Amino acid sequence: MFMKTFEEKWTAWVDGKLTEQELAEFKASLPDIDAAELDKQDSVKLGNLLRQELGLQPMTNVEFFHHQLQDEIRRESSAASPARHSSDAKQPRWSIGRLAWAGAASLAIFAVCTFFVMHEDTVGGQSGYLTQVINARVDPDVSPNATISMFETKEDKVTVLWVDGLQTLPSEYAAK
Amino acid sequence: MRRSLVAVVLALVIALGIAPARAGQSVWSGLVMANNAPEPTPIPAELNKFEATLKQLFGYNQFQVIGQSRQSLKGGTDDWTTSSKYFSLHVNSKPGEKKSAYVLNLQLFQEQKLLLETEAKLSNRSPLVIKGPQVGDGQLVLLLVAE
Repeated sequence: MFMKTFEEKWTAWVDGKLTEQELAEFKASLPDIDAAELDKQDSVKLGNLLRQELGLQPMTNVEFFHHQLQDEIRRESSAASPARHSSDAKQPRWSIGRLAWAGAASLAIFAVCTFFVMHEDTVGGQSGYLTQVINARVDPDVSPNATISMFETKEDKVTVLWVDGLQTLPSEYAAK
Repeated sequence: MRRSLVAVVLALVIALGIAPARAGQSVWSGLVMANNAPEPTPIPAELNKFEATLKQLFGYNQFQVIGQSRQSLKGGTDDWTTSSKYFSLHVNSKPGEKKSAYVLNLQLFQEQKLLLETEAKLSNRSPLVIKGPQVGDGQLVLLLVAE
């Protein structure tokens, strides 16, 4: 047990919580017992008045305060670990695995495109996706000196069949 | 995974779009007379895209269409003729080996006389220009354009 201070003994006396022995000792320690009794009565009256006038008010919005408290606790918890958040932010968006898959998919797409572009046959060295002259001929009896060549223009990829040596015709053949 | 699949499908569509002329397209064929004139008439709209090339190839400043036709390719065998007063171009088109291409058999006639015969796979990416006979001071040029 420990020794109570005078104030504690006084409070316990006012509240009527002293044992008989403590009460006897306390009263013996008082210099003026009558003045002390008056003070005690005043204190009891004041306590009763305060309890009567300032009784505990029931809380009408418990849920709101509950949420407020939870939010505050959450904010404080997250603020308490900033290092963890910054390390999360520095994480790369794509993992190595995803990058590898993306690379493989890109290569596959490139291969497919290349296949479809290249699989067109080439005839006479001409590009497969441009117009191709497969063959050409003139009647040797009609145009015995005719020569045939073919090429593509570089600018707008026009395929040209160039026939020289056909018989020259008079200008009236230009009629519509 | 779904993104990869979409990308592959897209690549296939792009690759297939490169293929030569196919069903649903049309072919413009024209008999063009090229010559030099002091005041050349404006080049016809059909030849607008190739004006520079035609001038560079043949060295003439005037190109006049003396016969033309536009034929829709229906996916099977098609025949049509483009004619002027003295020339006619007979075209027979048939699906190519890969069904995505059209092979055209072309015959140029001067009245009833066959001057030239050729077979070509026409692509919508490049027209076909054929140098025909000299006519007076000009030149007959044949043009086929897949549209």
